[in-house]
Amino acid sequence: MRKLFSKGKWQHLFYTVSHPSDGYYWIRHQDKGSLGIAILLVLIYAVSFSMNRIYASFVVNDIEPRSVNAVAELAGVVVLYFILCVGNWSVTCLMEGEGRFKDILITVGYALLPMIITTNLGTLISQVVAENEEAFYTILMGVGTAYTVIMLIIGIMQIHNFSMGKTLVTLFLTLLAVLIIIFLALLVINFITQVYTFFRSLYTELVFRF
Amino acid sequence: MKANRILIRALCLAAVLCLMAGAALAGDSLPYDSYNYDYWNNILYTPAPYVPDGTVAGTGLTWEGASLGAFRTPQDLCVSPDGDLYIADTGNNRIVVLSGDMKTVKQVITGFEADGKAETFSSPYGVAVSQNRQLYIADSQNHRIVVLELDGSFVKYVQNPQSEVLDDNYVFTPLKVSVDYADRVYSVAQNMFQGIMVFSADGEFTGFFGTISVKISLWEKFWRKLATKEERSKQQLFIPTEFTGIDVDDEGFVYASNKDTDGVQAVRRLNPKGQDVIRKGPKENLGGDRIIAMAGNYSGPSQIVDVVYRGHGIYSLLDSRRGRVFTYDHEGNLLYIFGGIGTQEGTFRTPTAIEQIGTNLLVLDAQQANVTVFSQTEYGRLINDAVSLRFDGDETQAVPMWQEVLRLDENNELANAGIGKAYLSAGDNEKAMLYLRRGMNRAYYSVAFKRWRNETLRDNISWVLTLVLVLVALGLVYAKVIKPRRVRARGVKGGGAA
Repeated sequence: MRKLFSKGKWQHLFYTVSHPSDGYYWIRHQDKGSLGIAILLVLIYAVSFSMNRIYASFVVNDIEPRSVNAVAELAGVVVLYFILCVGNWSVTCLMEGEGRFKDILITVGYALLPMIITTNLGTLISQVVAENEEAFYTILMGVGTAYTVIMLIIGIMQIHNFSMGKTLVTLFLTLLAVLIIIFLALLVINFITQVYTFFRSLYTELVFRF
Repeated sequence: MKANRILIRALCLAAVLCLMAGAALAGDSLPYDSYNYDYWNNILYTPAPYVPDGTVAGTGLTWEGASLGAFRTPQDLCVSPDGDLYIADTGNNRIVVLSGDMKTVKQVITGFEADGKAETFSSPYGVAVSQNRQLYIADSQNHRIVVLELDGSFVKYVQNPQSEVLDDNYVFTPLKVSVDYADRVYSVAQNMFQGIMVFSADGEFTGFFGTISVKISLWEKFWRKLATKEERSKQQLFIPTEFTGIDVDDEGFVYASNKDTDGVQAVRRLNPKGQDVIRKGPKENLGGDRIIAMAGNYSGPSQIVDVVYRGHGIYSLLDSRRGRVFTYDHEGNLLYIFGGIGTQEGTFRTPTAIEQIGTNLLVLDAQQANVTVFSQTEYGRLINDAVSLRFDGDETQAVPMWQEVLRLDENNELANAGIGKAYLSAGDNEKAMLYLRRGMNRAYYSVAFKRWRNETLRDNISWVLTLVLVLVALGLVYAKVIKPRRVRARGVKGGGAA
């Protein structure tokens, strides 16, 4: 536990956000990153996302409150995070990326920090903006997303020791991999359901017969 | 045994209570649902704004001592400025004129005398009465619009339009007709996709009006690029949608309904230049139903067949697919929806035209060959009156009505917004924010919010600034006085140890 959340690890998180290139390099080569912090960040991001959806003020918020489901969104963010990492890992393995699965998990988790900050800041700022002032909110959210994307690209580049072009190609392939994984998962779930219903009907048949 | 008796008693009581509840809801036992869409396009069921109040069929009417006989596929009806009702009894080739109460037949026009010759109608499809008390009949299979005085004497024909933009062998088959205050004639003609045909007061064809431009999506363009010439010739043509019904308001603006396969805009308000100036409301939708089934019975977007302008910016659309009447205000907000397909009183089979007589709405059904009269309920009246007052710029007077509407239907967004605006002008910003938020009105909510924000700032700025000053002062004291002393003390101590 101490190793996952030590003071040095926390310091390196903020160092990575301010110096992504350097920070990610040391995460890969000197184990300066912490998986615990990365997963914690993902969880915090999921909560911030739901909070933004429901607590952002009426002026900027066009989301139906009844459609917000914090548990489903938490699960969704976490699952998506893992699928993304698995997708990236499976692609980069084939493309001679140097990063380990753990590095990918940490990279994506750390990259979420700017979005966590801006999402929550945005939720707060939205409480004091009126119409025609939404620009502050929109720009803030846009900046956060852009920073996260930049961090993600630099991170993937650094941990796998890729060039920029190769990183972008990898990210595109990662998206394809994610889609394939989701497709396969749905397929498997469907098959399992069918097998389950088969045995279930077998069982009811037997129960009613004897 | 005793337990049994108690059970029976309880069951009886329950049954009686159920019956009472049923009686209380008797007003709601209509053959259709009344509903509206909220900001998020959820269906919200509302009290009925209109209830059926009898039907008028030709069989129940007498004319010259005999029964009038059933209507046959009547296609249009209109109300004259004097309050009489004109029905185009298309299949019987006649125009039936009823008194305003729809109990007596005033006149049956089967023909007229023009230039010394007796003339008759052939499938009179549309009918309109001008403000100058002249009757316009779209005599479709005779390919002319007949203009008569109200007593039935002939005035003129509007026929045989001549123009470069028309084909040489074009045959004019008018279906619907409408007239504005200057006796300009607007006509929807069969197979005419270029717009509404406009004729001047002396019967000259002056041009097309309100042409709907064809929209081709990028995707369709892409496929057309790929297709060969032969394939392209077999593809569906991109033709503009047709207009289905027209009505002219007091200012001479033309309300025209049209077929819309996207369910986005089924009505246009055309200014004298023929440009669409209708306001579309917060969801940019004037297409009737917003939630539609994609397959099965009654699926697909609403098919609007007629429009009626009802004064004070309110207009109603008639949907033939699901038999519903959609009513909008001048801002494009949906006010209420009612009606349905069926055979009970209040539902239709092939609704073709809608009109307003007094406060009642009339819907003409071609297949049932009757006119259904709808009278407004308390709920409908309150909304109509409140919206009318707002249209006339008298929003404060509308507030008590909106409050009544909220009592009947607490989800009504227009009512909430209306009350919110009243609180805003009264200066109660917090209440205004609450109601405007319920009414999903961001623009006015923002006004209230800005005022509330300024007030809060003004009330609290003094102590917040004081607090900041005090904190700054404390910080300075710490930095200048206490910290140096400590450092000195530590330094002395450190020095001592060394």
